[in-house]
Amino acid sequence: MDLNLRGKNVLITGSTQGIGRRIANLFAEEGANVAICSRSPESVNKAIKEISLMADGKIIGSPCNIKNKEEYESWINDMAEELGGVDIFIPNVSAGGGMDSEKNWWKNFEIDVLGTVRGVEAVIPHMELRGGGSIVMISTTAAVETFMAPQSYNAMKAALITYAKQLSQAHGEKGIRVNSVSPGPIYFDGGAWDMIKISNERFYDKTEKTHALGRLGTPEEVAKAVVFLSSSGASWITGVNLVVDGGYTKRVQF
Amino acid sequence: MKVRREQKIARIKKQKGKKGTPVEAMPSPELGHKLIPKLRYTDTGFAQVEWDKMWKKVWLLGCREDDIPNPGDHYVTEIGNESILIVRQKNKTIKAFYNVCAHRGNRIVHALHEPQLESSNFRCRYHSWEYGIDGKFTDIPDLETFPQGAPDCGGLISMPCDSWGSFVWFSMNKDVEPLRDYLGIIPNHLDPYHFDRMVLTRQVTVEWDCNWKASVDAFNESYHVQGIHPQLLYYLDDLDIQIDCYEKHNRYLIAFGVLSPRVVSPSEIPPPIKHVMREAGMDPASYEGSVYNIRADVQKHKRVHGATQGKDYSSLNDDQLTDDYHYTIFPNVTMNVHADDLMLFRQRPHPDNPNKMLFDYFMYELPDNDFDWETYKKPIHKKFKHGETSLGLVINQDAYNLPFVQKGMNSNGYEGLWLGNQELRIRHFHKTLEDYLEK
Repeated sequence: MDLNLRGKNVLITGSTQGIGRRIANLFAEEGANVAICSRSPESVNKAIKEISLMADGKIIGSPCNIKNKEEYESWINDMAEELGGVDIFIPNVSAGGGMDSEKNWWKNFEIDVLGTVRGVEAVIPHMELRGGGSIVMISTTAAVETFMAPQSYNAMKAALITYAKQLSQAHGEKGIRVNSVSPGPIYFDGGAWDMIKISNERFYDKTEKTHALGRLGTPEEVAKAVVFLSSSGASWITGVNLVVDGGYTKRVQF
Repeated sequence: MKVRREQKIARIKKQKGKKGTPVEAMPSPELGHKLIPKLRYTDTGFAQVEWDKMWKKVWLLGCREDDIPNPGDHYVTEIGNESILIVRQKNKTIKAFYNVCAHRGNRIVHALHEPQLESSNFRCRYHSWEYGIDGKFTDIPDLETFPQGAPDCGGLISMPCDSWGSFVWFSMNKDVEPLRDYLGIIPNHLDPYHFDRMVLTRQVTVEWDCNWKASVDAFNESYHVQGIHPQLLYYLDDLDIQIDCYEKHNRYLIAFGVLSPRVVSPSEIPPPIKHVMREAGMDPASYEGSVYNIRADVQKHKRVHGATQGKDYSSLNDDQLTDDYHYTIFPNVTMNVHADDLMLFRQRPHPDNPNKMLFDYFMYELPDNDFDWETYKKPIHKKFKHGETSLGLVINQDAYNLPFVQKGMNSNGYEGLWLGNQELRIRHFHKTLEDYLEK
């Protein structure tokens, strides 16, 4: 199956490390042109160099603080201009979990929710110009099943699933598909589950056993799902939330 | 993942004022690389020599000054087979006695490790011999039936007793050097913390199945953090540690609120570092800086806000506001010293089994403005066997492991401790011990 990603223009936020970075890598390998960002100019430059090694297309990027609306919008417009349009948008950046204070709610709202909403609003006109496009939001299994604790991360990520569904209805006519991917626990070196594995091995082992497939996922496996949903291979899929968790969650999705 | 990042902890180079804790690094002592024989941990004969030549010669921690504020207040502590009676005198000085009746050897005061209120005298419950709070006989019933008269000692046998740092110390060696001489650098280093301002919030004794030195050792090196306390890799730097050995005692300075070079930074602030921030009154969710700046920012925050929280940090340098200044006072007092608390361990030998010990845990905390003095009650001393109580995750992890260490040391297949540079304090501790045994 050809995903037809060669020459497609992809914008990914928060893409110098973790899952976002693996998504960028995979798009690059598939021949897409990829625009990345993170707050630190050093990480952006380093990631551009590294991704370019495996890319056929153009790899560009610049530092951007998603929290700053103007900065964010101009990042999108600059990238769109440099690549000559936008076909695919992956709002990936997250403020992460935490129950420290009310501030966690504001942060998840600002980064996870507004970081998606503002991005979507800025890319839709670009997609309309090209007669279609694809957006994949990154949610979490913590949004669809109770997980850890009642924290803003879980609730705000849940908001994205609903938002994606509504968008898919609103923009379907224009050929814009909108889906979300909800990864379960994902292990990578230096990630949150690496810390848990080192500091609380018992909990890690227990979590691992809870997975039907008997292990934690890799960021590459999440990236594959995201890239597929973004591609023409998923041309008839819109408004879904694809749970990518190796059977970690137990609910039945009717 | 096996990681070893390059990391250099920024340390204060100058002590805080003339009376601040000295910070300069000591030159590493030449202590050789010899194996430490395991017999020191397992042999009854060695334990006896250790008792005669070391325990009976050194200064030992008895109780706290505020355990016995008023004349007649007293406290009984035990070391080995000895029971020591510590009594506040009329002139506010403190005396320590062997807690034994000169008549037939009964223990005079049977209570243990609990401060006892004002007594005007001590009466042996066996034959009612009575002693004043100064230890002198006040009554011997039917004295006329003792043709030889009262014992020549005139009452309880006293021993050297003095106080420092809010603690009362005693020595079974009547020719012992003055406490200040024995403590050496310790008062100079630790007075800036003002232990007298801290209040006791927990005290527990647990019998552990290991030699007392195995416990002292466990707290004298951080090489075992990666194995026994992996969660601390997200809390402290277990590699860049300043180790300083002094005459009898030693210390190390460990940076808290940082990541170990053995792990990489996760995208979120690790929960143990968040805890450090919250304790300082900072909101981790509002923190915009890098995880690598948190230690310095917590120090700044505490420096600015300490006074309004009711905490006087004026004698402490910035590092002391976050870090562990960790001291071992030879032979058996381990002090985890922090600006806001002192976690003190006293390791006591079992009276007759070198494979067992008594681990005394004391937590003292610096009260802030929110401290509720109305409801504060000095905690009651409780005694447990291994595994019966929790001493917090970190000490529980040590406690779980130590009996296995002790069992292993008893093996035919083991000769002794093979120590590396990260374990220099253990070597230094053994050097001090050897000095006593050779006297």
